[in-house]
Amino acid sequence: MNPVAPGHPQAGSDAHDRAIAALAAIAIGIQILEAAIPSPIPGIKPGLANIVTLITLLALGWRAAVAVTLLRVVGSSLLLGTLLSPAFWLSLAGAVASLALLAVLRPFAPRHVGPVGLGIAAAMAHVAGQFLLAWAVIIPHPNLPLVLPPLLLAALITGSLTGILTAQVLADPRIQRHVHTPQPSQ
Amino acid sequence: MNAGRLRWGDALIGSLAAGIVVAAFVLAYTPAGDARVLVISQAGVAPQHEPLDRARVLEVQGPAGITRIEIEPGRARCADSPGRQDICESSGWLQAHGDVAVSLPNRLTLQVLGTDPGFDSMHY
Repeated sequence: MNPVAPGHPQAGSDAHDRAIAALAAIAIGIQILEAAIPSPIPGIKPGLANIVTLITLLALGWRAAVAVTLLRVVGSSLLLGTLLSPAFWLSLAGAVASLALLAVLRPFAPRHVGPVGLGIAAAMAHVAGQFLLAWAVIIPHPNLPLVLPPLLLAALITGSLTGILTAQVLADPRIQRHVHTPQPSQ
Repeated sequence: MNAGRLRWGDALIGSLAAGIVVAAFVLAYTPAGDARVLVISQAGVAPQHEPLDRARVLEVQGPAGITRIEIEPGRARCADSPGRQDICESSGWLQAHGDVAVSLPNRLTLQVLGTDPGFDSMHY
């Protein structure tokens, strides 16, 4: 019997839960560090915590990615003091939108779509989800679409960067041990 | 698994995303129609519509004095107004649909309208 790697869905719920908790803790840490970095343009930030979501998606599957992302949104908003504020709802809307698109793209990974494609798609969906919530509820101003193009451009750039970083992390042999994905040869 | 290798899906998603970005820029920043009409609204007076077809100067009497409005083909401006802070004058030429100049002392707004709806202001 080969020992099942920790974090593998078949490794027992305890190991799986611990892996999700550890990944969520990393994501919360990244998000809070990122919140401390002043952004030159309001509304634009690198979204480095999305790397953790992508790694979780590719290593542990979509359900684990949902758990890690929702824990990240709630946990970081608790620590930043934004729970249930507009910032929290915007963060949640972006996270839900990108998870929805990742669910659609998940069957194509890793054979046809790599981390870069997933990163771009997730970032674009994040901005789109945030924008729809902002436009529908928070700032229903008819001219809000004018801020959308720069945000989408930023999402394209930051999504590519997070995708490249995700590929770098996944290429690390210490992560490879935990990756549970159908091999292209199978 | 070679995690660093780009796949065709990456190229497809990247191209689609780039297309969406370009389309968003084009759609959002296509200039609104040129200004065609100047609407002069003054408190207590019916709004006055002046077509922006030829150069001329209008003078509007208000509670604080006279506001001098310069009209040229396609644009108009508040050339002189009694306000001490020159807020009306500093609005400059009104030439895009929705551009507004306001003279509070004369209880007067000037707005140019075009054919297509544009936007009146942006705040961040």
